[in-house]
Amino acid sequence: MNIKTLVLIIINSLIVLVIGLLSFSFYEQFSSVLNDRILMQLNSIETLESVQIENYIKSEWKSFELSENYNEDIDSANLMLSDSIKKIDGIHDFTPYHKHKKTTIGFVLNSNKGRKIKILDFRNIQNILLERTGMGESGETYLVGEDFRMRSESRFFPNKKTSDISVKTQGVMSALKGINGRGIFNDYRGIPVYSVYSLIKISNLKMVILSEIDVSEVAKPLEKLKLRLMTLTLVIFLVAVTLSLFLTKIIVDPIKNMQNSLKVMAKGNYDQTIAYKKSSNEIKEMFDALSNLKASLQGAVKFSYEIGNMNLETKYQPSSANDVLGKSLVTMRNKLIDYKNKEDDSRIMAKRLLVNGLENERRRLSRELHDGLGPYLTSLKHYIENNVKNELKKTEMKKIVDDAISEIRLMSNALMPASIDDFGIGVTLTNYIENLNKSTSINIEYEDLTKQENSNISSHQGINLFRISQELINNSLKHAKAKNIRITLSEFDEFISLFYFDDGIGFDMNTVKLGSGIINIKERVEICNGNILINALPGNTTFEIELPIE
Amino acid sequence: MMNEIKLIIADDHELFRIGLAELLKKHDDIKIIKSVADGVELMEILNSQIQVDIVLLDLTMPNMDGFQVLREIKNLNSNIKPIVISMHSVGNYIAKCAKMGAYGYLLKNTDESELVFAIRNVYKGKKHFSSEISEKMINFMSTQSISENVLSNKENEILGLISKGLTTKEIAAKLFVSTRTIETHRTSILKKFEVKNTAELIKKATEINLI
Repeated sequence: MNIKTLVLIIINSLIVLVIGLLSFSFYEQFSSVLNDRILMQLNSIETLESVQIENYIKSEWKSFELSENYNEDIDSANLMLSDSIKKIDGIHDFTPYHKHKKTTIGFVLNSNKGRKIKILDFRNIQNILLERTGMGESGETYLVGEDFRMRSESRFFPNKKTSDISVKTQGVMSALKGINGRGIFNDYRGIPVYSVYSLIKISNLKMVILSEIDVSEVAKPLEKLKLRLMTLTLVIFLVAVTLSLFLTKIIVDPIKNMQNSLKVMAKGNYDQTIAYKKSSNEIKEMFDALSNLKASLQGAVKFSYEIGNMNLETKYQPSSANDVLGKSLVTMRNKLIDYKNKEDDSRIMAKRLLVNGLENERRRLSRELHDGLGPYLTSLKHYIENNVKNELKKTEMKKIVDDAISEIRLMSNALMPASIDDFGIGVTLTNYIENLNKSTSINIEYEDLTKQENSNISSHQGINLFRISQELINNSLKHAKAKNIRITLSEFDEFISLFYFDDGIGFDMNTVKLGSGIINIKERVEICNGNILINALPGNTTFEIELPIE
Repeated sequence: MMNEIKLIIADDHELFRIGLAELLKKHDDIKIIKSVADGVELMEILNSQIQVDIVLLDLTMPNMDGFQVLREIKNLNSNIKPIVISMHSVGNYIAKCAKMGAYGYLLKNTDESELVFAIRNVYKGKKHFSSEISEKMINFMSTQSISENVLSNKENEILGLISKGLTTKEIAAKLFVSTRTIETHRTSILKKFEVKNTAELIKKATEINLI
């Protein structure tokens, strides 16, 4: 489960729980208070009305007792009273004796003066019961006889005969047993009501008075409250959800963002850009830290890439004293530099040894030809001079030997001019070019600015300068179609400069063939620790070579 | 009987010495006193009281080579006249030998007639350089920059171009050298004239009529 859902669930279920509990307890409190209030109200109405009814009956009884009018004032057509009942003094409920079961309350008094019977006018009682102040829409006070029949008129069934309405409710039964009380139960209509009930017992009269109000009416404000509470709960819940969504966005988005960034970085890609909203200082700092981490990793990656490509001049500053990665990279670079220098040194050394070996071999061969073979041939010539008598043959043989000797001179010179050791490079080049000018149509001018005495050019440098010049002249003759070549060799206290110019067609540095000797020249410059500058323009090709004085 | 020419052959090749001796034997006026294989041996003889007119001297020898021998002979202040006989046919060898007091320069494969002619000529006190040898020597010497002035030839040339107002780059292109070469030359010229900048240099150069 991801953090967003978790935060949402926790926050919202907490809020729902709190609101629910609050609403419920509020509702409960309100509803029990309301119940009490309603029942108390009903109780006071019922008490008031029952007292009024009792007072009314008692006052009527008193005036009946005092009256001297001894007769039986009854509607004998409808009311048929037995003699036995007529003998019982007191207040009676004559309803069962009425032909139409009309509610009838009567007084009976037997005395020595005779028998008095009077029927009470029930309308007065009915009027008391009709007083409904504080009873709401559905409130009602009514009377029930011992036979569980309605005695007073029902508000709800005004056209129904009272005796037809049976009221055998919980309240009536309790009251007839002499227990007054209150409660919520179904009334004669079968509808739940708040009810307060008590027994009215005067003389022989026994009736139950009930004051009732429909639960539905009382519950109406409760329902309203419930609805309102629920709406409120819903609104709060929605607000809470929105707020928590917003909150989780603030907290979770940067975390997710960072998670993604870290995932990408874990895969080894440090080039992503980290975008974030500055929703809080902590998050800003967190992202700044991530950016720093990324930057330093990027730096390290770039640096190691450069090292990998052997760009060892690359600068790198470890981000702190504890930057182990950075420090090891720098160590690695330094080791590589050392290694490369050593390798370069040994490579140049190897090349130098190779070239020196080659030159020594050439020198040896050259000397061998010149000083070894040469004298034999001259001896042969002397032999011919001394021993061949035929003048014609003598001349011919001498000529052949002379040709052989000059051929050996040429070979020896080409291999390694002896004057390079005896006179140095300056003079050797002078001779070399002088000879060349004799055999080619091209115009070569050489200017020797080396020191005639105490020259500081080493024999090793001299040989390399000679070979470089040979190679350059060879290129100009073979490839460049040059007409003029100018060579200047200058010696100074600190360095030697060989400047070479030709007016040939030039060449492309990138496509020039390996065979054209440029590589050879560069190698020779390298083993002399010198540098070379090539400018291969058509009509103006120049080589500037500088060697340090060793 | 005319005077005999007393001669020593100095060459490290025995065969050559024998051949040469064989050749010269035919001429009565030339007497080979001794054949030696190196310079040290030769100098021992020359330092003794033996009279020697001419030395046929090879340049390439072990222990002490021909050039050293020439220097030693010059120091002896004697009448010994050395003739160099060498395989080297290039001008600088010839010029150097001439400078160092050689009376003649012969290639080893020189014909008998010229060899004998040269010996006789030198014996008379003349110097012998054949036309071929002379040409080689002169060709070489003509390229040598021998300057008696304070400034070298190159420096003079550069000074001239500086006074014409050319830039270092232009001078370098004109003289076929690198710009750094010109800069170095210029620094050297300033130093020799004991001046600090180009303006001072031109002023001083004009004063002494150099430009």
